[in-house]
Amino acid sequence: MQAGDKQCECSRGHFLRDKEAHIMEEEIIRYDNVSIVFDGKTIIEHFSLPVCKGDKVILRGPSGSGKSTLLKMAQGYARPDTGTVSYRMHEIDADTAWTIRQETAYISQDTNIGEGIVRELIAGVFAYAANRTIPYQDSLGEYLTMFSLDETILDKDFRSLSGGEKQRIVIIISLLLGRMIFFLDEITAALDGRMKSRVADYFLSHEDWTVIAISHDDVWYREGVRIIPIGGK
Amino acid sequence: MATPDIPVTGLFFAFLLLAIPIFIMHKTRLPMIKETVWSFLRMSIQLALAGVFLTVLFEYNNPLLNVLWLCVMISVAAYETVRKQELNIRKLYLPTIAAFVIATTLFLIYFETLILQGGGLSEARFLIPIGGMLLGNSLGGTIIAVSLFYNDLRRNENRYVSALSFGAQRTEALLPHFRTALKSALKPSLGNVAVMGIVFLPGLMTGQLIAGLSPMTAITYQIALMFTIYTATTVCVTIAIIFTSYISFDEFGMLHKEIFLRK
Repeated sequence: MQAGDKQCECSRGHFLRDKEAHIMEEEIIRYDNVSIVFDGKTIIEHFSLPVCKGDKVILRGPSGSGKSTLLKMAQGYARPDTGTVSYRMHEIDADTAWTIRQETAYISQDTNIGEGIVRELIAGVFAYAANRTIPYQDSLGEYLTMFSLDETILDKDFRSLSGGEKQRIVIIISLLLGRMIFFLDEITAALDGRMKSRVADYFLSHEDWTVIAISHDDVWYREGVRIIPIGGK
Repeated sequence: MATPDIPVTGLFFAFLLLAIPIFIMHKTRLPMIKETVWSFLRMSIQLALAGVFLTVLFEYNNPLLNVLWLCVMISVAAYETVRKQELNIRKLYLPTIAAFVIATTLFLIYFETLILQGGGLSEARFLIPIGGMLLGNSLGGTIIAVSLFYNDLRRNENRYVSALSFGAQRTEALLPHFRTALKSALKPSLGNVAVMGIVFLPGLMTGQLIAGLSPMTAITYQIALMFTIYTATTVCVTIAIIFTSYISFDEFGMLHKEIFLRK
């Protein structure tokens, strides 16, 4: 998929330093007039949002406001009732959805990603045809250290881990895959204070990473982050 | 060796046995009496009808009639599979029936030509009981497996979704759920196989022994059948899941919610 030549319209604001400006014009995700109807009730109406490469966007709103559904649309796990969602200027359809899933990372707060020994669980992900050529062994140790996990965790049963440990393993798998576009649904909710900011720092510090996150944690709300209110009428 | 018939009075005494469980249920106020009586009545009537039907079937020994009866058995088996798991019958009936037809036909032909070597497919005496055993046994496994597969997918939806977001193809993401399903379907038969001959004598052997066949003949039949049943179950479960999965997912790889009758 090629990036379109149309310039991204997102309102990046004054915080953008000039030297980045030229690489940041690629549109990654665009919500266009999206509505979500749930159980006969319209919970989101006429939602539009362009997101460009390098953007850091936080969706903020009460639970049940449809934030998670918006995020799921980006990888084609949910579809808008009206309106469109596009990825790199192409409307997300049955074909593009599969490409998006291989180019972007979606991490949810539900850490039920499988069972068995952590090491084998990770190896399983890198046994997928699409990931076989990704060298992950070397970086695994680094990421474990970065997120304060001990190597011994690799030999434990995934389901015996605590919520915070599971969440960090899921985050690490996504990072090992080397994606640069992230859809993050409350990924710091189960972590303790120090770890919350470490994770948020890590995702927000990469200038070329595109991040759309849902979070109620203050650590995400900082300068340079676009905060988009959802629902909450 | 002539096999004595069970006289009518003998059957009466068999029925009389039921008085004991009923008595115990009554005394312990276990509310299973109605269910017990009803189930045994139903079974007796069904078997009586089967007796009449099989007599006719064996008498005519018409290949067309045999195959027709096999079709009825397959349809009922597929119906039961879909109904038992509270899935949408209209959507999943055809793929399940196809799975049973393919598995049963394939292994019936294999059994008759390569194992039995000359039993004759059109011979009602072989076709009906062996087809019935293949169906009856793969039926249980298929019910367990298909229902577990979809329930596991629904319960652990996030495992599937996260596999997709980690870059898995649909098949790769479904594989863990398939493994869970197949394992549960085969576990009970493996348990049976392990104690067979020591703890219990399977129905087919009992029948042949009563009919006066030598124990050695009876066991060769049993051994051959156990291999065939185990394989047929595996194949039936696999293709039932493959076939139904073509209908159960949309082009985005998401499970159609309407394949479940209840939410």
